[in-house]
Amino acid sequence: MSSFRFPVINPILHSDLRLKIMVALDSLESADFVYLCEITDSTRGNLSVQITTLKEAGYIEVSKSGLGRFSHTACRITARGHEALRAYEDGLRRMFEEQVPSQKEEQTSKAV
Amino acid sequence: MTTTDELDIITRIRGEVMSRNDNTGVNLFLVWGYPTLAVFLLEFASLMLWNANLCMFLWAGIPLVGAPLMAYFLRKDYERTGHRTLDQNTALMMWLFIGGASCFSGFTTGFAGVYEQCYCPLQGILIGIGCFLTGVISRFRPMKVCGIIGSVISFGSFFLQGDLWPWQLLVIAIVTVISLIIPGHLSRKNVKTMNSKL
Repeated sequence: MSSFRFPVINPILHSDLRLKIMVALDSLESADFVYLCEITDSTRGNLSVQITTLKEAGYIEVSKSGLGRFSHTACRITARGHEALRAYEDGLRRMFEEQVPSQKEEQTSKAV
Repeated sequence: MTTTDELDIITRIRGEVMSRNDNTGVNLFLVWGYPTLAVFLLEFASLMLWNANLCMFLWAGIPLVGAPLMAYFLRKDYERTGHRTLDQNTALMMWLFIGGASCFSGFTTGFAGVYEQCYCPLQGILIGIGCFLTGVISRFRPMKVCGIIGSVISFGSFFLQGDLWPWQLLVIAIVTVISLIIPGHLSRKNVKTMNSKL
């Protein structure tokens, strides 16, 4: 029997939109609200709620400033956020690698 | 959401972010390139036509024109694109370091009394290295090639000494065109081509 143990899933990152936000910010220095709306293909209301959740978890920093005539919201990933995303991604990859051989074994046994 | 779905999201969003990271230091090259070219040409003209060495005064013109223009374009870029990439930040820090190194070399060669012999080639080599490294960061081959050519030509200008030293200014003006202005325009063209494909 395999000694593989499923990693504990981070409930904050186990959400479609929050994961998208974190991955986008992971590759950037900073991004504003409109950019995140476009890249995650989400509505403003939903994005705002998820940004607040990530901010409360300490995964991102949010700064608000006046840029021209409009207020401007910029988000930036924190060191804690980077760490959490790395751990989450590693866990997913380990789970995936464990799933693929077991699925192959099932297919082989069915074929036999 | 399954593991595969989540891994798919990670790969897709990363790819999308990368495809939009297309403007690393484009304006920086032109913003610093044209004032630098103008200063080198003016210095060359002042030395050759009027035999007046305006070097010490004209150098100040580069940061005076370049710094506010850079701040303006960086802000405008951020407003337009809504994001700032890690590559852009690295390129910006590197050029700030090169600017500092350029000022430092100006002072040290001045105090050491070898200003006329060394300063221009050093400036050209720094510009060439900056161009090459930006090409490495932004993975844009023409920029790397321009940087290497600029550095080699600048090194060659070390041999223009004595009465020939004003010609160093003209050589470095050419290096500015090769290592700042041409890569800047090539990058702009590249960005426009990439944007039209999106």
